[in-house]
Amino acid sequence: MDAAFAALGSFLDPSMLLFLMIGVIAGLVVGVIPGLGGTAAVAILLPFIFVLDTGPAMALIIGAVAVVHHSDAIASILMGIPGSSAAAVLLLDGHEMAKQGKGAKALSLAFMSSMAGGLLGAIGLTISIPLARPLVLLFGSPEIFMLTVLGISLTALLSKGNLLKGLIAGAFGVLLGQIGAAPASPDYRFTFGNLWLSNGIDLVAVALAIFGIAEVISLVARKRAIATVNTLGTGWGEGVREFFHHWTHVLRGALIGIWAGVLPGVGATAGTWMAYGQAQATAKGESKRKFGKGDPRGIIAPESAANSVEAGDLIPTLLFGIPGGAPSALLLGALLMFGIEPGPRIITDHLDVIYVIIWSFAIASVLGSLLCFVIAKPLSKLSFVPFPLLAAGLIPILFIAGFQGAKQLQIIPLMLVLGVVGWLMKAFNFPRAPFLIGFVLSIPLERYYYLTDNLYEFSEWAVRPGVLVMAAILVLPLVFAAIRWIRAKRNPQRIETFDDDEAEVDEDQGPRRWSAIVSAAFFVLFVGAFILAQDFAEAAQLMPNVITVLGAALSLAGFLVDLRKWKKEGPASEAAAAGWRHTMRVIAMSILWLLAFVVLIYIFGVVVATAIYVPLFLWRVARARVRALIIYPIVVVAILLVAQQYVGIVLPNGYMNLGI
Amino acid sequence: MKIKSVKRAAFMAVGVVTALALAACSTPQQGGGGGDTNADAKVPSSIKLIVPFAAGGGTDVWARFITPYLQEQVEGTPKVVVENVEGGESITGANAFVRDTGTAGDQLLVTSGSTYLPALLNRKEVEYDFTTLIPIMVNGTGGAVYVSPDTGITKAADLAGYDKTLVYGGISATGNDLVALLAMDVLSIDIDATFGFEGRGPARLALERGEINLDYQTTSAYLTQVEPMVADKKAVPLFSFGVPEGDKIVRDPALPDLPTLEEVYETVNGAAPEGDAYDAYRAFLSAAYFYQKGIWAHEGTPDSIVKAYRDASEKIANDKDFVSKSEEFLGGYPLISGEEAATALADAFAITDDVRKYTLDLLADKYDVTIEAK
Repeated sequence: MDAAFAALGSFLDPSMLLFLMIGVIAGLVVGVIPGLGGTAAVAILLPFIFVLDTGPAMALIIGAVAVVHHSDAIASILMGIPGSSAAAVLLLDGHEMAKQGKGAKALSLAFMSSMAGGLLGAIGLTISIPLARPLVLLFGSPEIFMLTVLGISLTALLSKGNLLKGLIAGAFGVLLGQIGAAPASPDYRFTFGNLWLSNGIDLVAVALAIFGIAEVISLVARKRAIATVNTLGTGWGEGVREFFHHWTHVLRGALIGIWAGVLPGVGATAGTWMAYGQAQATAKGESKRKFGKGDPRGIIAPESAANSVEAGDLIPTLLFGIPGGAPSALLLGALLMFGIEPGPRIITDHLDVIYVIIWSFAIASVLGSLLCFVIAKPLSKLSFVPFPLLAAGLIPILFIAGFQGAKQLQIIPLMLVLGVVGWLMKAFNFPRAPFLIGFVLSIPLERYYYLTDNLYEFSEWAVRPGVLVMAAILVLPLVFAAIRWIRAKRNPQRIETFDDDEAEVDEDQGPRRWSAIVSAAFFVLFVGAFILAQDFAEAAQLMPNVITVLGAALSLAGFLVDLRKWKKEGPASEAAAAGWRHTMRVIAMSILWLLAFVVLIYIFGVVVATAIYVPLFLWRVARARVRALIIYPIVVVAILLVAQQYVGIVLPNGYMNLGI
Repeated sequence: MKIKSVKRAAFMAVGVVTALALAACSTPQQGGGGGDTNADAKVPSSIKLIVPFAAGGGTDVWARFITPYLQEQVEGTPKVVVENVEGGESITGANAFVRDTGTAGDQLLVTSGSTYLPALLNRKEVEYDFTTLIPIMVNGTGGAVYVSPDTGITKAADLAGYDKTLVYGGISATGNDLVALLAMDVLSIDIDATFGFEGRGPARLALERGEINLDYQTTSAYLTQVEPMVADKKAVPLFSFGVPEGDKIVRDPALPDLPTLEEVYETVNGAAPEGDAYDAYRAFLSAAYFYQKGIWAHEGTPDSIVKAYRDASEKIANDKDFVSKSEEFLGGYPLISGEEAATALADAFAITDDVRKYTLDLLADKYDVTIEAK
């Protein structure tokens, strides 16, 4: 206790607060930029900590780590572009709310939840220090395996009444996640001899492409602003009120987040989706349907989780010396430089440092939220700007952010391809949330299945209490659903219509015939992958086999359903067909514009490409005024060069190296 | 009208596909260009350290730890930045480094054991060759093997006639785990190895949970994480990998209480180890531990630049501040300049075909791991 207050006392020193503030600002700025997160924030600050003392250095780093998930909500909610892969979950309800003109409410909900998540995470960290070791040891490979199964089963829940297509999307995500080195044998899968694919496709690139670039494709063509109404709404207070109304979701989200951080292999992205999934699963009756249509709980639970994940991450980092993610790995390195060795002895030897870390986390969470409230108001006007104007700057940012993981140029055309796939999924009602869950959990699921299978007998691990609890969570809803279904059958008036036809109709909605073609394409993909998988070593083969067979069966079923419906509906009306032809034309134009940028990067490298592309795009697509044509590109290029110089962003080179 | 639009769409589609195919086939090189080849070429004004691992990993942190000292000690105080090119167990980044043949010395490769081992095993993915790259500095580490008390082993001597199978948790059979596997092979202890752990940390936790009962950790993790376990009687140390002294392996000064594998072998078998198994162990041990972290320059980098870098390495190795900080951070394993280490490194990377074959056969027969060799 004394140590806790002594550590708090150290914050009376203005220099401590100053460094904390610098950390918070760096974290917020990095968080706002789509695709950049905690790793980039800590990497920027790392050189400075060499010259600082332990206390201020910790304040600096923790300040940044604690707030990146505050500000990454902004891009997700306002623009529909994921601010980070963990914030992609906010596209469901947060962005929906912003489209309804309630951006202010969505943001205030997100910031309040971030603050609460951070504070609860800090409290969790304090309490768990004496308890964490036995708890973590209780959680063996079988429990983590079950947790990943539980996570994967969310795909069904997140399918929004379109179960078949949701499962196809989930299987596609798992398959895409299989690309790269197999966890249990030294094999590379689906890399076609490309070593750059050996680490798998970077999560950031996938999330930005499948959501962000897809959004750019469909919105650029439509040339309008993101919000469909033209007032920002006075939702700030409303957001705060609803936040308190749903306080249980705040708490539950935070608890899930802490666990997701503590356990290896789960991480922030899976943690936020699990928090979202449990909020939706436990919602009662009719209110369940509101999820995905701007439900406040769909913001609160994942945002609270996203911020407590980072606190949870610190538990294994400090107590076991095992970092849960890249930011905490960098923190671990920093601690070692100060001669502080994480491990069981840290509690007795360096309790003061631990409390400085905890207080920094808590204070940064509050500061971060307050600052977010300040910057959000001007930023939220972005959702009323015609989208092409935003896209001119967003296109380079999306591609460059996706490039940072692999730092291989091939990722850029791949992102474009995934962006087109994302748009197709959107147009033909394949929900993308299950896809992302499948992608994130693909390797952990496989890894922990193998570890469990190799280290335990089935009769041993299947009856462990933790495994039984999670199995119950998995099975009980099915049992309840079955009971409801049987009752409803006996009592025909009460049949609930869970038909996929009620899925909301998007403007890009493609005709049935094309939908069948997309399902068929998925089928071909799964069959092709199955054939390729037959060459893999035994230990690398099981998971691809299971998922491709499953995916092929599902997509074949999807194809047949579409075909039947198409026959039933008959040919589309002339007006609908004409509308679709028009959509196809503008979408093709959007894709060509993006392709032009990719080609320019290949020729000139990204800096020159941006300098050429942005004015061209502003002139032809956004039809901006002359002044914007000149100033806008200069600003974008300047930001890139500054980021390269000071933030350590790597800018891709092209064939013609013009020295920039 | 309709036909026309379909045609146009088809054209577009073909265009898109062709452009993407072209784009995917040939890729512009990322990073620096060619350079000056004349004899008294100048040290560049900025140096990129290519780290073929993710930010935050052991090698990355090592590189970032060295960076400020390099910046200070290399003549002309150039700007030194770290760039992570991760993936493929570090083969990706190292391949990218050698594909770029610039000799301006503005790019240096940072390596670790898992960069060396695939090269020693002749994996077909590897394009680099440490017998031609120029070493600037190397820095070793040590490690220790320990078991859980559940095994019934209370001291290393209990390994004599031990006939149960130990359960080992590893990351990948072709990474640093290989040395531990070869060490147990020298002692003729049967092990059942499960690969697929995310790192040494998770494997250590698995031992604490009783999922595995044989593990190794590098020195720093051993001192901070395993020693408390030994004190609580939750772990039993077996041996350390030791450090080289001339041709001999002696006790690791950082782990003075632990016998070396050689000592344990003598206790158990009454004679010093020799033969194929031991040769294989020694061959991989040098690269994986004694010279684990290293900084390398391109083949053909002008002597003047190499000399400047090696001089700087020497100065860093004798820098008081560095020595005191590295005592805690690097476990006191000395930093050796490339000049001093050159012969030893040349030996370490010239392993015989017999040793390679023995190791590959062992992996295939005992662990079902087949490696596609060049």
